[in-house]
Amino acid sequence: MLERFLQDLRTDDPGAETPAATRDRLKGRYAPGSTRRMTLLGMLVGSTLGDLSAAADCTIVYASSLGEGRALEDYLASFPCASPTLFQTSIHPSGVQQGLIGRQQSVRELFPLAGGPQLVVQALLTAMLVPGPVATLTGGEERGTWLVESGAVSDRSFAYAVRLAREPGPNPLGRLVLESEIAATSPGLSNPVDEAPVPRADGIAGGALSHAAWFELLHHRRALDGPVAAGWRLQLIWS
Amino acid sequence: MQTINDDSARLAACGCVTPLGGAADTVAALLKNERALRSVPVLGREGGDPVPLALLIDRALDETVPPSWLAAIKAHFAPVQEAGWGSPRRPVYVTSSNFGVGSLYAYRRGGDPASLPFGAVPRCVDWLRREFGWGENIAVFSHACVSAHLGLLQASRVLRAGLAEEALVFSFDFLSPFVAAGFHALKILNADLPAPYQARATGSIGLGDGAAFAVLTRDRGDFTILAQSLHNEMHHFTANRADGAGFAACLAPVAAAAAGRPVWLKGHGTGTLEAGRLECDAFARVFAGSPLVGWKGSLGHTLGSCGLVELALAAEAIRTGRTPGTVGTVAPVFSDSVALESFANGAFDGAICASNAFGGAHAAFLLSHA
Repeated sequence: MLERFLQDLRTDDPGAETPAATRDRLKGRYAPGSTRRMTLLGMLVGSTLGDLSAAADCTIVYASSLGEGRALEDYLASFPCASPTLFQTSIHPSGVQQGLIGRQQSVRELFPLAGGPQLVVQALLTAMLVPGPVATLTGGEERGTWLVESGAVSDRSFAYAVRLAREPGPNPLGRLVLESEIAATSPGLSNPVDEAPVPRADGIAGGALSHAAWFELLHHRRALDGPVAAGWRLQLIWS
Repeated sequence: MQTINDDSARLAACGCVTPLGGAADTVAALLKNERALRSVPVLGREGGDPVPLALLIDRALDETVPPSWLAAIKAHFAPVQEAGWGSPRRPVYVTSSNFGVGSLYAYRRGGDPASLPFGAVPRCVDWLRREFGWGENIAVFSHACVSAHLGLLQASRVLRAGLAEEALVFSFDFLSPFVAAGFHALKILNADLPAPYQARATGSIGLGDGAAFAVLTRDRGDFTILAQSLHNEMHHFTANRADGAGFAACLAPVAAAAAGRPVWLKGHGTGTLEAGRLECDAFARVFAGSPLVGWKGSLGHTLGSCGLVELALAAEAIRTGRTPGTVGTVAPVFSDSVALESFANGAFDGAICASNAFGGAHAAFLLSHA
């Protein structure tokens, strides 16, 4: 059983906001002129991450299933004269690097995850296994255009950043418990948690918690108790 | 004060495939100073400037449906296709920079929707999962050219936490006009062959196909991966800090773990000038007198897979008792420690393997006999 406490949380759900409106809303958070080459995902992730209270943590786990959708689309459209800027910004994990480079914030360990049905649980597991007392989990997606229909880029934009700590601290926002369903039955490993059960969240399709569903849990501070991927259970309990 | 975390793991098996063959064939070719890089139009069948690329034998730069590189992986990587990978106690760590993005390029240029199932990361990984018979316990890491190191580190931590019996780290990157044209647009992939660590007027890189795997355990295997270290400068998208602080920060924990033992150094060495000089300086400060080699002058830069491909080659070099030199490089070089020729490695007690990536990302580990 792995347990961490939520010490700080920021989320951004642009909803039906146009990309131009989102950029306009966020541009004041960055140095003048610096947003010209930033992607929407870079601005969203950079803002939520930048809003977390200062901490001496040095590990960031970044989750994005499909990453820089618009930069990817625009880079592909730039051929046969490939754009160097779009090439750079289309490469994972550009979405988290843009804001960190803007702030010149070095990071000892950066774990960018991508991909499929276990994205959320593997990102949580990665954050929970870092040796230090605190880790930051951040992530997001960016709504694309012509590749949305094919599923190659995301159909919505969002971003979040949450600080996870081994100790609860004075005012924890909540608690996360991640448990391997196999490990829980093995000798010498911890037993399942004994808190009262809370409802299972919506958005768990095919037995796996999607990235968007995870974002909704954080954004609306909804509780969760149940399987989140093959072999894994998660409890999310809010204070 | 530098903290050393116990992120060690045993290496039960590893292997790679490059344009020169599997690990044994590749090391043998490197020992003969063979270069896999060839001049290829940067846009494949659509032409463009010639650039040095190392493609798997009989593979064209243009994407096929399904991607043509799968056959090479299947032919070389029997352990990857064993039953049970991806189950709860035998997780898989897939690492890459580009995954199947060449298929999205093919779709954009040709309009064939048959390319789409291989393009996006989730679909590409799911396709590989079905091809290899893996279960669903799969983590996917993508951090450009240090991607493979992240898979190794997280797999080690999962093992040490008792959450797995063994772990498979699989890494791959195969070239396409998407990535070749990108590096060409950045003006670091040009007509010249790369010469890692060579002091010359203009730097250049080559790119190569590559894939590799490693089976990590807590207690089986002839080799141990020790002192895995990461550092991310976040100074500039493509440039490193001019003072070399990022290289130093990454190497410090590895140097502490090496504790003065004699080691040889497998550097990143793409062929760019500034990064090559900084890497040479950092290694010379921390591991004075240790020979430094880089193999991308022959194989090209295999991008997200390079950390694992070069781990398999380093392990093979230790097994054979001889380390290939820095193929493609001639004097003058940035540091006296750069080994241009192969050397016997029996007197060494391990190798430091390092990789770098966009954003000033650095990764390194110590590979030694168990």
